[in-house]
Amino acid sequence: MTSSELDRTPRTLLVSESSSFLDPKNRISAQVQQLHFNHQVSVLLPECSSAPSHLDSVLNNFSSFYLIKKLPVYELLDRHFLETAVYHGAVFGLSYRTRIDEDNCVALMPNVVSVDLTDSSMAPGRRSYLRLLTSLKSRLQLQTDFLLSHHPGGGASIQPLLSRCDWSQHRPEVNCRVLTNLPCPAPLSCDPHSFLEWLGAVDAGISCENSSSSFLSSFVCPEPNTMHRHALSVSVSGLLLPHDIHRLLQELRRYVEQPRLASWVSMTVRGFADSPVSCSNHEHGFLRGGENFYTLMMFHDHTYQLHLAMGAHDVCPP
Amino acid sequence: MKEVEEKEEASVYQRVVLKNASPYHYLKVRLVLEDDSTRLSAVELKYFIITGLKSLYGEVGAALNFDVLKYDEDTLTAFLRVYSSLVKLWSSLTLLGSYQNQACAFRVLQVSRLNPLPKNM
Repeated sequence: MTSSELDRTPRTLLVSESSSFLDPKNRISAQVQQLHFNHQVSVLLPECSSAPSHLDSVLNNFSSFYLIKKLPVYELLDRHFLETAVYHGAVFGLSYRTRIDEDNCVALMPNVVSVDLTDSSMAPGRRSYLRLLTSLKSRLQLQTDFLLSHHPGGGASIQPLLSRCDWSQHRPEVNCRVLTNLPCPAPLSCDPHSFLEWLGAVDAGISCENSSSSFLSSFVCPEPNTMHRHALSVSVSGLLLPHDIHRLLQELRRYVEQPRLASWVSMTVRGFADSPVSCSNHEHGFLRGGENFYTLMMFHDHTYQLHLAMGAHDVCPP
Repeated sequence: MKEVEEKEEASVYQRVVLKNASPYHYLKVRLVLEDDSTRLSAVELKYFIITGLKSLYGEVGAALNFDVLKYDEDTLTAFLRVYSSLVKLWSSLTLLGSYQNQACAFRVLQVSRLNPLPKNM
């Protein structure tokens, strides 16, 4: 194998869009809605040491979700469950800790699924439905740990299903850190990859204070940079609803549009690496890395920059 | 590495698509040793990986540029960043079988092209 063949690796895509919130055609809301299964949202607020109360309240009020252990997959086809929950588009869920390239994965989405439960041929009682139900009950007894969530107000519709299973309710985990003396690159001055790399490093607690003679690491903050006395880094993890992320986005917009020391905030939303679907119902692949995230930079003057990252087996978003 | 750019400009709106434009790969790895209580410092870990590269790819391979971005000595877990040659680094980690006369293995927990992935659920 030649050296150049060894270096060839599956492609990754980074789509960067810049526009303004004031532009009526901006795609931000559509983008937030498209990623159904959100695992984590991380926010960085430069020159901030504590979140203002409105923002704090939004961060701490993300919807709860349920973890069902060993859910037999045919339960998702239960007639009552379909009629009260699925048909109203109120629930969605994802199999938990199943690896997309090794195990069977299940995703339940509020609109189209590859088994389209809302198609008339899949109505309870019809032949396709009965065939699928018998297969899942007898021939292919799929059972998986399952994460389930519902839109606000849809809680009652899933209670019958939960009562038949071993379930627990969870609140998303919120982690807040105040960072001091943080060098921050100017967002528009460096290329998207370097900026995203720096942002990911801040989130993971990776230091960029490396001298040029350091043996261990040569990672430094991109130039030009300014030193911020403090910055607030918050992350919320769990199974997060697009609706809650949208609320957070609106609150962050309100925050950054007020006169402040820092002129930008960033919000990074990560999907599940092993989710069977990524943006807008396209199939998501893993191969070496299940990249599946977007970062939104919001500026004081209503403009934004959106960076969408997709991995090797994903389709480029429109 | 290819870089493909498509620009659509309409007043304020701009869209750029970058393909394979990031030269770095990020790996999260854990070193599993026969004796659980053995500890390595970050410098010892980096040196150990370099010896692995040298045994597989020689002196030129050992000069491969990689960074230990973050290291947890208690769990022997490291975040590595490598410039372009992911396959060389990964194959060296796979074939590193012993550390100071005890059996060992590198478990590659996560790999990414874009930015270090956080801990999974």
